[in-house]
Amino acid sequence: MSPTITILAQHLLNGVLIGCAYALIAMGLTMIFGVMNIANFAHGEFYMLGGFVAFYLVSLMRLDYFVALPLAVAVVVALAVVLQHSIFRRLREAPVMTTTLVTIGLSIFLENAALLLWGPQPQSIPTPFPPKPLSFLGVYTTPLYLFCMAVTAALIVVGHVLIRRTRMGKAMRATFQNKEASALVGIRIDRIYAYAFAFGAALAAAAGAVLGGFIPVEPASGGVITLKAFIVVILGGMGSFVGAIVGGLLLGLAEALGAGYLPNGWKDAIGFFAVILVLLLRPEGLFKRA
Amino acid sequence: MLDALPYRLATIAVLVALFAIPLVVHDDYYLHLFIVSGIFAAAVVGLDLIVGYVGQLSLAHAAFFAMGAYTSALLFIRLHWSMWLGLPAAALLVGVVAIVLGSIILRTRGHRFIIITVVFAELMRLVATNWVDMTRGFMGLPGLVVPPLVLPGIGAIDLTSKSRFYYVVLVAAIVAFVICRVIVRSSIGRKFVLIRENEPLAESLGISAFRYSMIAFAVGAAIAGAAGSLYAHYVGFVSPDLFNFSYVTIMLIMVILGGKGTLVGPALGAVIFTFLPEFLREASHWRMITFAAILIAATLFMPKGIVFPLLTHLLPRERRLRNARAA
Repeated sequence: MSPTITILAQHLLNGVLIGCAYALIAMGLTMIFGVMNIANFAHGEFYMLGGFVAFYLVSLMRLDYFVALPLAVAVVVALAVVLQHSIFRRLREAPVMTTTLVTIGLSIFLENAALLLWGPQPQSIPTPFPPKPLSFLGVYTTPLYLFCMAVTAALIVVGHVLIRRTRMGKAMRATFQNKEASALVGIRIDRIYAYAFAFGAALAAAAGAVLGGFIPVEPASGGVITLKAFIVVILGGMGSFVGAIVGGLLLGLAEALGAGYLPNGWKDAIGFFAVILVLLLRPEGLFKRA
Repeated sequence: MLDALPYRLATIAVLVALFAIPLVVHDDYYLHLFIVSGIFAAAVVGLDLIVGYVGQLSLAHAAFFAMGAYTSALLFIRLHWSMWLGLPAAALLVGVVAIVLGSIILRTRGHRFIIITVVFAELMRLVATNWVDMTRGFMGLPGLVVPPLVLPGIGAIDLTSKSRFYYVVLVAAIVAFVICRVIVRSSIGRKFVLIRENEPLAESLGISAFRYSMIAFAVGAAIAGAAGSLYAHYVGFVSPDLFNFSYVTIMLIMVILGGKGTLVGPALGAVIFTFLPEFLREASHWRMITFAAILIAATLFMPKGIVFPLLTHLLPRERRLRNARAA
């Protein structure tokens, strides 16, 4: 292959993992938005906590890497359940301003709690994978990268199947479309709220735990991730799962290309410009709801 | 509310007290806190227009503040415009930016509006950080000064001391407050509240939610831009840190805990939440955690805020009832 194409392929490959991660995080965010009508500004903090808990379990508690990842997700889900019961339960039917201010407060709270617990320095989760790069037609990658990509892609599929194929997913989608009608046919709305919230937190925490071996995690990562996930959700159409997946992948790829071909520092601006463009040309997002 | 004689007297007493502060307070550190309070008070009464009266949560307000600071700083450094020209230019430019942004986003409400404002703020931060040729990026723009005030017949008055600059800020804050108060007391302000309370009703009466939201958004932004200009020249330095999310958080805390939709409440909130963090300096790690907890608790349990409700308790009973009915 010619060098230009090899470099392009390399950039695209780099974008797939982060794109999968964006998709995972945005799926949960869109689920919480659709079911609870809450724009969860603390969503990125679940990603950050997933990464930090995994780091803590692997490097300080000396747990096996493959045990630590699901355990970290479980810890974050437990926290999400506590938050759901203490705070988010009160936000049902609350005005948009209230829900947003509360989740902004929660985001600051969790970020600074992480700062107190773990300090400001970025941490990388030690992994058992050999650091030796693999090469295929001149495109380089590492075993860790392939593992992360496989896990995030598998989780997207699992999430999609859960939403599409299970009774719980069906109930969630029903609540999504019409709360009163769902309650009328016997769906326990309060339970759906709790499940949707835990589901969203789990996906974000999983993304954080998996990516933590690859991209160092720090207390401030949550805020950036929240913004990126919101961009994906607006691009894909608020409340659209397919939109979240496609939008996440597109943003990841676009940023990877931006990192390769734009002046340093501008890649993060791509998503913001895309949002403004989409809002001007197609305000409902690229995909319709549900 | 402040028409009857006792309230006029109270207003005059407060104004006298505000003007007397530098005569009583000689400590530079406390004067500094009063100056910063005044700058934030001006900025947050502008925020109250859109958040408190029209009822749209804008997360771009701190970005408008920072853009005003950058505009004024760049005009000073590149074109040698003093603050007296830079401040109105900053207000104008930021107001125009708000109109352009508003024409895109004020047609949406609720979640989407909120998210786009934060996206816009982040984009502006990226521009300030990455447009190095213009803004010097992370290095920021140092060397801003407070210009002397030249009055015909009197000559130049030096304003660089804190006790003198305090008066500049005080006058600016009063002007900002009066502008906002005149707007919310006029028929425009009543339309703001109607849009907040029942937008379909407002639209059915032929009141364009878009147009009136735009007035609140643009005026608020212009005031934030002017406040940012004051801040830049007072501190003498601007950097992309001004775009940090913590600024918009603290402004929202001032508005929400002060009592949104009251103007007086957010202005007092600005004073309280400038001084309070300084007193909590010992526990700086816990400061943001405490603030976040206060924000969550106040939003959930005290949607009317803390400062303004306390203030109205000082009023005689019948007036309180009248205010309650009006609110």
